[in-house]
Amino acid sequence: MFRVGIDIGGTFTDCVVHAPDGTAVIVKSPSTPGAFANGFMNALRLAATRFDLTLERFLAETAVIVHGTTVSTNAVVTRATAPTGLIATRGHPDVLTLREAPRKSAWNWRLDYPDPFIPRNRTVEVGGRIDSLGNEVEPLSEEDVVAGVRLLRQAGVEAIAVGLLWSFVNPVHESRVAEIIEREWSGVPVSLGHRVNPIPREYRRTIATAIDASLRPVVNAYIEELTQALSAAGFLGRLLIANCSGGMMPAEEILASPIQSVMSGPTMAPVAARHVAPGRDVIVADMGGTTFDVAAIRDGQILVTPEAMIYEHDMLGLPKVDVRSVGAGGGSIAWVDDGGLLRVGPLSAGAQPGPACYGRGGTQATVTDANVVLGIIDPHFFLGGAIQLDRSLAEQAVERVARRLGVGLTEAAYAIHATSNHNMIGAIEDITVNEGINPRDSLVVTGGGATGCHIAGMAQALGLPRFMVPRLSSGLSAQGGLVSDLRWQVFASAYSDSEAFAFEAVNWTLRDLTCRCRAFLDRCEVAEAARRIEAAFMGRYQFQSWEIEVPFALPAGGQLTEDDLPGLVAAFHAMHRRIYGISDDDNPVEFVSWKATAVGCTNPMPAAEQPASNAAGRTPPAKSTRPVCLAPGGLALAIPVYAGSACGGNAVIDGPAIIEEDTTTLLLLSGMSARVDADGNYWVDCA
Amino acid sequence: MNSESDASSGFDPLLLAVLSNRMESIVREMSNIVKKASRSTAITNARDFSCGLLTFDHRLICVEDAMPVHVTAMDLSTRPVTELFNDVQAGDAFFSNSPYHGGTHHADMTLCVPVYLDGEPLFWAVARSHHADTGAHIPTTMDAHMRSVYEEGLHIPVVRFQSGYRDREDLIRWCRHNIRESHIWYGDYRAQVGATRTAETRLVELGQRYGRETLAAFIEAWMDYGRRRARAAIAALPKGTLSWTSRHDPVPGVADDGIAITAKVTIDPEAGKITVDLRDNPDCVAGGINLSEACATGAGRIGVFYNLDPSLPHNDGSSSCVEVLLRDGCIVGRPTYPAGTSNATMGINDRLINAVQCAFTGLGAPHGLAEGGTEFGVNMGVIAGTDSRFGVDRPYVNMVFFGLSTGPGLHGHDGWLTYEAPNGGGVLALDQIEIDEMTYPILVEERKIAANAMGMGQWNGAPAMQGSYRPLSGEMTVAYCSDGDRNAPRGVLGGLDGSCAINSKRDANGQASALPAFHMETVRPGESVVFRTVSGGGYGHPTDREPDRVLRDVERGWIDARTASEVYGVAVVVASNGVDHKIDQGHTAQLRAKNHIKAAH
Repeated sequence: MFRVGIDIGGTFTDCVVHAPDGTAVIVKSPSTPGAFANGFMNALRLAATRFDLTLERFLAETAVIVHGTTVSTNAVVTRATAPTGLIATRGHPDVLTLREAPRKSAWNWRLDYPDPFIPRNRTVEVGGRIDSLGNEVEPLSEEDVVAGVRLLRQAGVEAIAVGLLWSFVNPVHESRVAEIIEREWSGVPVSLGHRVNPIPREYRRTIATAIDASLRPVVNAYIEELTQALSAAGFLGRLLIANCSGGMMPAEEILASPIQSVMSGPTMAPVAARHVAPGRDVIVADMGGTTFDVAAIRDGQILVTPEAMIYEHDMLGLPKVDVRSVGAGGGSIAWVDDGGLLRVGPLSAGAQPGPACYGRGGTQATVTDANVVLGIIDPHFFLGGAIQLDRSLAEQAVERVARRLGVGLTEAAYAIHATSNHNMIGAIEDITVNEGINPRDSLVVTGGGATGCHIAGMAQALGLPRFMVPRLSSGLSAQGGLVSDLRWQVFASAYSDSEAFAFEAVNWTLRDLTCRCRAFLDRCEVAEAARRIEAAFMGRYQFQSWEIEVPFALPAGGQLTEDDLPGLVAAFHAMHRRIYGISDDDNPVEFVSWKATAVGCTNPMPAAEQPASNAAGRTPPAKSTRPVCLAPGGLALAIPVYAGSACGGNAVIDGPAIIEEDTTTLLLLSGMSARVDADGNYWVDCA
Repeated sequence: MNSESDASSGFDPLLLAVLSNRMESIVREMSNIVKKASRSTAITNARDFSCGLLTFDHRLICVEDAMPVHVTAMDLSTRPVTELFNDVQAGDAFFSNSPYHGGTHHADMTLCVPVYLDGEPLFWAVARSHHADTGAHIPTTMDAHMRSVYEEGLHIPVVRFQSGYRDREDLIRWCRHNIRESHIWYGDYRAQVGATRTAETRLVELGQRYGRETLAAFIEAWMDYGRRRARAAIAALPKGTLSWTSRHDPVPGVADDGIAITAKVTIDPEAGKITVDLRDNPDCVAGGINLSEACATGAGRIGVFYNLDPSLPHNDGSSSCVEVLLRDGCIVGRPTYPAGTSNATMGINDRLINAVQCAFTGLGAPHGLAEGGTEFGVNMGVIAGTDSRFGVDRPYVNMVFFGLSTGPGLHGHDGWLTYEAPNGGGVLALDQIEIDEMTYPILVEERKIAANAMGMGQWNGAPAMQGSYRPLSGEMTVAYCSDGDRNAPRGVLGGLDGSCAINSKRDANGQASALPAFHMETVRPGESVVFRTVSGGGYGHPTDREPDRVLRDVERGWIDARTASEVYGVAVVVASNGVDHKIDQGHTAQLRAKNHIKAAH
């Protein structure tokens, strides 16, 4: 049976197919904003033709389609979500405006305070109050709820978010509000805070709830369209949707929690990277047209952040795979500030007009222009020759920067290339050093088409011993959906501390979480032997208010006893030391919430073996040589160019060299040596 | 470019960008550790802390991720270490909270770690946090009536707390014996250790990669770059001498008539230099509102930097373009030991920054800012009591941040809502109600944006915040120093003044009574304290405000329709859906024509 991964990006819909014979192919089809399901079906049709099959025949032989969608991200980013109303606790109507105070630069007042996700005139307050211990301080005012729902309906909202204080400790008021809404306005989509995001911090819970509600109409419509189109074409297999925490969910479960699909596409890239290097520290580096995205894996665990931003000043609210973005893509613009310093980005030439060398009217020098001037990119073999670039336009643009810097053309191009490298290194250091990961002890895996031109320089500056460029680098996210296990996580609050550990309450919570995980695995028909449940807690020292995630092994039977407690406490101290450089071993540890992840080990494709650094191999003949400038001095050196498709397993290519795949260009520097594994991936050892 | 910049251009500009970014990333990492690993809510939730890197000869390198008041004169904090010790070595850490040794005020405890490369000292890594308690006779770290250092609690005048990378246990014991809830103090101190030692590790790694000589050359080029950027920004301003006076509220028994603070600002575009003369101001008073030298120097620089390109680096190079003239014994100068400076980071300090930033409005639009909201009422009180919610009695003391004063209007932009005060640069965070209610036995009944309480103008000051809270577990004290109950922040160039603070108490029957402005109140079960924060002044005439902006303010409840009509001359009526509003264009034209006639008279 075929297994298919589809990732809808802003420009292209990537489709990776694992065929029954073990081969993998990637096809790209233009995305179709406005009707994303069409692009999805087009990609499947294109894939079917690669196997000489009709769409119907291909789908009949497909067991599973794993899908990372940009539909919800796109709706959020373009502010095309449904008009939504908010029901809030009386006295607290401005949770979404005040936030936790949006972050700003200390010295800048020339900016406007950001509007809230739901405007104040679509927010209604209702009487009723629960306290931090879950006691009802004041009963819910049902009259307020009735009046509020009527007002929101009159105002024309299409969905309602309910965000009441302390609902995650005692949901009775929120649940009652839901009943009244259903009675007053049957069928309007509703999201409840304690269901969407059961965590303390009212802003984070409420923003997630608001986003979730606003997505219900658009995600419902999309999933419905997709499942109908698939079943009409004869698909009988399982459709899984990637979620923002690095797992995937059956399509019908995304309907119950659409926020989980926001920004889920890029979260599949680290999943793919973990597949090639399980159990260790990995950094995933993905340079696209406008941004450079980094994710990291610590001891085989993909880093998740509770602080993901969805707009400049609004959080997603929900834990999400930590992907740090900086404005450092191929289209990032180079400029010189009034102190004479070269800057690259964050402004980007985007797809229109694009870099100067695209010949679409862009005049400002971009990173891609610099790479063309340096000779790293062949203007006649960009995207395998699909786009012809104009070298002279690139030179004119870079020349302008060179004049402002008072240096020569290639020196300026080199400075742009290297500054861009250092911007990206900054992003790598940000995510790694802040999370206790040493880049030099980690494997860097690249994704995206542009990373290959820069990874060698970055590896040198970071002192990396080895990095890896997957053959399907430019479709890494789609690939991630395919090689990943089934993963689905749930979490719940159950506060306790190490001095008086509440075994009963915590064990009740763990039992509830593992039951829900088992039910998920049942629904997905995962065989008993292929099941695993991973557990973690969010802990902190007494009086701290930020928790850190600490994985632990669930004891047999799934219930904690006195004997397990010292292990949990020691694991917390160790993780605190790893992240912050200090621990306070005499301090009690507080356990705030608990997380369980259902894992179905259903992936039948083991990763190819890593070639050893000293493995012998043959070097294929170079297809050409071309002059490339690789040093600040500005002198170009003729270096060999290899066709990626001609390499094959066991090939060894020594730098300096360029390897050209259809969708990526890999630059190797002197002293580096690339070995190709059985799947066609490049493992590069640095001298 | 002048000859000096040509000389420094010898340093590779790429490396300049790389190393300065690296310094910023190290400061970010330090800040992350202090924020996440600390225990006081003021530090960990509200971000009342700052980290910075300096050269070993006390020049600011990077302080970008910080509160301006904490860092703008951080050079004064490391200087005493090398003056007082001739045996500084790697593994040392010096702890100080003394305002007479470069500190801001005694609650800001500062840890300075020297960083050595190849056996030579090259940097200071500094972490400054606002601690919850300093062991004064009353449970607060800021009080307008504390006349001298002897009433402020523990003073640590630059003491070696670590040698050989280990805490000196005797000093830790001494602090823990003198400070309330000292396990919280110790956790906060350790977070500072984590941050500074991590910075040391990073700087040593950087030294190994680039070499000490390169880093030393970088420092000079980086200072030149800062100086060049600041000079370019100052050169773009008109020449002139400007002045502004801002008035601090009366403090009973300390300054019964209030205190006028004047800043004289001289701009010399040709020399690329701005001078802030603060010498013509009153002498120190017998209370806690005198500024420390670090606060006075910092305030002068801050008020100027708020008027310059915000992207210029705030290092020693740019600071050297701003000269601040101080006088010994002056309330905004160098205080005479042992004058009290308990409240030095706020109050007079905020009035002083306002005076400097507003002086620039003498140049006319688009220059300058209105006055920003001052602080700190019961919205930011230091609360203390005993928590018996969980069966055992657990004392608590800490500062809460339920509401923040709000920002001034400026040309082109309304004020920033979550502003706090002029000293903070808007970087403080606002407490989450649920985190505070979980940590302390309190219930926050209300916290929201107030209506019709802002400095109205063509560009508004942001609206005030209002709210109320009550204790859930016995009595609670609330200590605060509310500057802004009497003298509202002033509007500029036709903009109206902001609104004053409200601090009051509501008894069990719902009766409200006003509270004193500089005070510690005991709140009993059933009683609530009620606040409204101070809002910033407006910039330009309200009748010049775009009608669509006025409509938006009505829609979000920041002003009502009557205010729209009477103050802004914009007629707003209810829209057809019965919920929203729209502008009555004809009526608005009439109102605005009438206003113009009024203005002409």
